Amino acid sequence: MTKKFNQYLGKAGQLTVMSEFLTRGWNVAIPEVDIGDDIFVVQDDNGTLRRVQVKTSTSKNRKSGYSGQFNVSVRNLRNITNIFVHYIFIVRHNNEWSKRVIIRQDDLLDHFENNKVGSEADGNITFYFSYTGNKVECSGQVVPRYTSVYDHPF
Amino acid sequence: MNAIRINVNKQMDGYSFSITPSIRDFIKKLFPNAHPANNIFVGYDTKSDFEIYAGKLENYIYPALLVDNENDLKKLHEIQFIDIQTGNILHKVTPRDEKV
Repeated sequence: MTKKFNQYLGKAGQLTVMSEFLTRGWNVAIPEVDIGDDIFVVQDDNGTLRRVQVKTSTSKNRKSGYSGQFNVSVRNLRNITNIFVHYIFIVRHNNEWSKRVIIRQDDLLDHFENNKVGSEADGNITFYFSYTGNKVECSGQVVPRYTSVYDHPF
Repeated sequence: MNAIRINVNKQMDGYSFSITPSIRDFIKKLFPNAHPANNIFVGYDTKSDFEIYAGKLENYIYPALLVDNENDLKKLHEIQFIDIQTGNILHKVTPRDEKV
């Protein structure tokens, strides 16, 4: 898999997520300057703003289901500001997008620091998600709370 | 009981004080009437102005973040303010020894 392909896949994932937000009545924008956020999501009628980071992966087949691997910058994850970033993880599997896993920044940091989810190297944390039927696991822990539609955490 | 950890993130224009969801759940379980906040942002100029008149800002942050009740706070052993990027302890408070 070339680096170029990863960029195409990443952009495709980002646009897929943006389209999903639009379908649900949220406005979206791509920041002009890239400082870590992929999408700004805005509820037009009341101005509620959410920052979104989309993480995309190709799939690897497993005995049952498939898995995806994602890298998250430790520095970005720890950079907690007054508006939390929502990480959205999606996997391209068999020419379709997987179900979206949405985890808020502070939840992800909590899982990494306290539940030993993900492994850290070179300033990045690698998360492995395995998808089996409706269940999504990360480092052996089920993440059902977060595998939800877009409306939930917002 | 382990120390309660408050994360401090130094930003371009001020400090973000936050607690993790597990600390929030812990506080809610311990004090069902508490409404712990996700985070509090204070600008650098606001902090320095405030501290001239009212003393250390952190002593006002933890009741606002965790539980705004003096008796409940006294049940907490120790609260640590940690630099989230470096892991360094910036400030420590033992509520039962403090006048809140």
